Amino acid sequence: MTQTTGGLISGMLLFLVAAGLSLIFGTLKVTNFMHGSLYMLGAYFAYTLYNLTGSYAAAVVGAALGVGLFALIFERLFMSRVYSADVLMQLLVCYGFILILDDAVKIIWGAEFLSMGMPAAFQRPPILLAGGVLPVFYLFLIGVTLLVALVLGYVLTKTRIGKIVRAAAINPTMTSALGINTALVYGGVFALGGLLAGLGGALAVPVRSLVSGMGFSILIESFIVTVIGGMGSVSGALVGALLIGLVRSFGTIGFPLFTEGLMFVFMTVILIVRPSGLFGRSAES
Amino acid sequence: MIRSAPVRDALFAVGGLVLLAALPLVFPGKAFSDFVIRLSAFAVYATSLNLLIGYGGMVSFGHGLFYGLGAYSFALLMQKAGASIPVAFASTILINGAVAAVIGAICIRLKEIYFSFLTLAFQMLLHSLIIAWTAVTGGDQGLTGGVPRPPFLGIRLDEPRHLYLFCCAVLVASLFVMRHLMQSPFGYTLRMIRDNPRRAAFLGIHVWRIRLLAFVVAGIFGGVGGMLISLFVSSAYPDFAYWTVSGEGVFMILLGGMGVFLGPLAGAAILLLLNDLVTRFTEHYSLVLGIVILLFALGLRKGVLGLVTDLWARRVAATKGGSSAATPAA
Amino acid sequence: MLTIEHLRKSFGGVTAIDDVSLHFDQGSLTAVIGPNGAGKTTLFNLITGAFRPDAGRVLLGGEDIAGLGAPEIMRRGMGRAFQIASIFPSLTVRDAILAGINAHRRDYAKVMRRFPLAEAQTQADEVMELVGLSARAPVLSGNLSHGDQKLLDIALALALEPRVLLLDEPTAGMGPEERWQMIETVHQLWQRKQMTLVFIEHDMDIVFKYAQTIRVLSYGKVLAEGTADEVRRNPAVIEAYLGAHFEGRAA
Repeated sequence: MTQTTGGLISGMLLFLVAAGLSLIFGTLKVTNFMHGSLYMLGAYFAYTLYNLTGSYAAAVVGAALGVGLFALIFERLFMSRVYSADVLMQLLVCYGFILILDDAVKIIWGAEFLSMGMPAAFQRPPILLAGGVLPVFYLFLIGVTLLVALVLGYVLTKTRIGKIVRAAAINPTMTSALGINTALVYGGVFALGGLLAGLGGALAVPVRSLVSGMGFSILIESFIVTVIGGMGSVSGALVGALLIGLVRSFGTIGFPLFTEGLMFVFMTVILIVRPSGLFGRSAES
Repeated sequence: MIRSAPVRDALFAVGGLVLLAALPLVFPGKAFSDFVIRLSAFAVYATSLNLLIGYGGMVSFGHGLFYGLGAYSFALLMQKAGASIPVAFASTILINGAVAAVIGAICIRLKEIYFSFLTLAFQMLLHSLIIAWTAVTGGDQGLTGGVPRPPFLGIRLDEPRHLYLFCCAVLVASLFVMRHLMQSPFGYTLRMIRDNPRRAAFLGIHVWRIRLLAFVVAGIFGGVGGMLISLFVSSAYPDFAYWTVSGEGVFMILLGGMGVFLGPLAGAAILLLLNDLVTRFTEHYSLVLGIVILLFALGLRKGVLGLVTDLWARRVAATKGGSSAATPAA
Repeated sequence: MLTIEHLRKSFGGVTAIDDVSLHFDQGSLTAVIGPNGAGKTTLFNLITGAFRPDAGRVLLGGEDIAGLGAPEIMRRGMGRAFQIASIFPSLTVRDAILAGINAHRRDYAKVMRRFPLAEAQTQADEVMELVGLSARAPVLSGNLSHGDQKLLDIALALALEPRVLLLDEPTAGMGPEERWQMIETVHQLWQRKQMTLVFIEHDMDIVFKYAQTIRVLSYGKVLAEGTADEVRRNPAVIEAYLGAHFEGRAA
């Protein structure tokens, strides 16, 4: 049971980051290679905000919004300049930012591992469930993430804004010709993706330690998730993230190396059997 | 001007080697020869990556895998298996080739960004393997115990001068072979596939096979670069397989110009100089490098050598009165 | 030389090619015409193996090639040029054609020798001369004018020494002068190589002047076939396609 819940929360955090990545790719057709850094920023922002205000809720909200704003600025000032350029240039812009942010974090917060511990609100005895232990915070995390997933799904499929976003993804020229400000849409989607990643980071702080460069491994995992679930699909990201989270969790019972390998085997099998992922569009050349 | 291209290239190679061999007479310090040795490792690696990116249009984000694999394979073979240097060299090439064949077979069927990211994912898998398999690799401390340099064919690599010449020779030889491959029919087929894979298929070309072959060759030479660095530092570190190696490789190529064969060499030299310069003044190398990369990505596009060849081509065109243009890959 | 029997192809719910049967004699020069959406390019795609037909046979020199992949069909002597010139922008005209010849000769994976291979040079020169690009040999394909790119597209198809050559709208995107030059080049190379040549064309003046026979497609079916005069007089064709264009024209 403990494994399952551990896996669940890994999966939830991963979902938030992966959903953001997938959204950005699906709408802007651009891979936000520095997405992991947004997760990292979310974590550090939340850490500092909590230390400043003592309120975890404020920290989470503040961090998510702060990262969303950062992502918006990044997109408008830097990323949008290389949309029409080679993917290599987009990669370089992101790579440059990863390096800058990793060092910036080291300069501001130091190079050692930081850890926040459980916020006061969650320092309660854990719930005993089905032979395992379920910390209250886990419930909170799972709840918040599911709520976000539902809201996201609803907004994208049922609201006008969601339709605009999907239209811009399919045909930006036409959408622009219809009078929609595509720059606004792009900025908005990027900000949303960043917000999700930042939220993930903020929610991770009580259960993970913080260090410069922590974003990279979650970036790789997010990518694996989007490959399994299908690029551009939010529901795919949820399924993929949960699968990966659980695989990781149960894998750690054995040799740690085995977990990574298992993830890869899984991903390779999916790629061979269903190259477009479980829910996505075609990935084959 | 000598007409025959292979002879021209061979003369160029020999000339380059002679020049490199003579330079220590002008710059006798250890700093210089260390720089050249490190450059040889990076230049071979970056040029091998450019086979994929510049000539093949296959953007791999995980080429550092082969750099790290080459370093560890070579170091372990020398240290644990007590192999002689030629044997370790040849074995590393085989290992890199085999791994490249497997990974390539999985990744090449995918398009663009999926290919890019999957190669990166495989690289990080190797990195995790290196960190986790402490018994064999020494974990995150790197390989301890040093890499022996037994003499072979009268060459004693524990002597600095021999090591220097050996690395220069490997650099020149590797570049020469890669150059030849790119100027062969295979190389031009690769360019065709880069430009228009659909049409290439319509011409009866087995696109997948050519791409896989290119991937394997690139993987092998990436490993040669790794071998050189592990020989130099007498060890192997997990950093050799970290994703930043791939990032730096891409930057070197773009910095020097991916349309020119020696562009990656120039880019590697510039990056190494930058590294040496910056680390002398500050420990925040990443920050400075990141800013440099940003400036580059948002400004200068074709790379230094690319700019030079562009200006040269324009000069030539102005005097000839014909049409001029920039070459994506000469 | 090329026979199509009861070819059928649907995409989703739309039938693009509906029971089409055609025959192209050895050495003939045929134009395929029809309104937009009639299925002309789809027909080419089916013949050259870009798509697999749902039903029917495609016989090239007696051999059924339906369902074989494009590379296999190209190897059996089919050449194709595209509506939008499909070329290799970073290679010079000469290098692109040489590379195409290498591909045809299966020399394209050789690593021991240098490009270009000497034995391909004569053929490359001949191909360039056939399409009139000899003067442009050292120019980068990407820098060619639109018309020259279309010529290069044909040259690349010719590198495969095809028995049957399919040209998809060779004059597309050209002004009136250029169009006649292009079709004249096509006509000359057809005469010199004595191949079976089929071209899709929209300019009726060109079609009626140059084509030996014409096939008219409409809504995925063959509407009519015959010589220029026969087609001109065919009431179904006039009604469906030519209509207003031919009001008041002398027969």
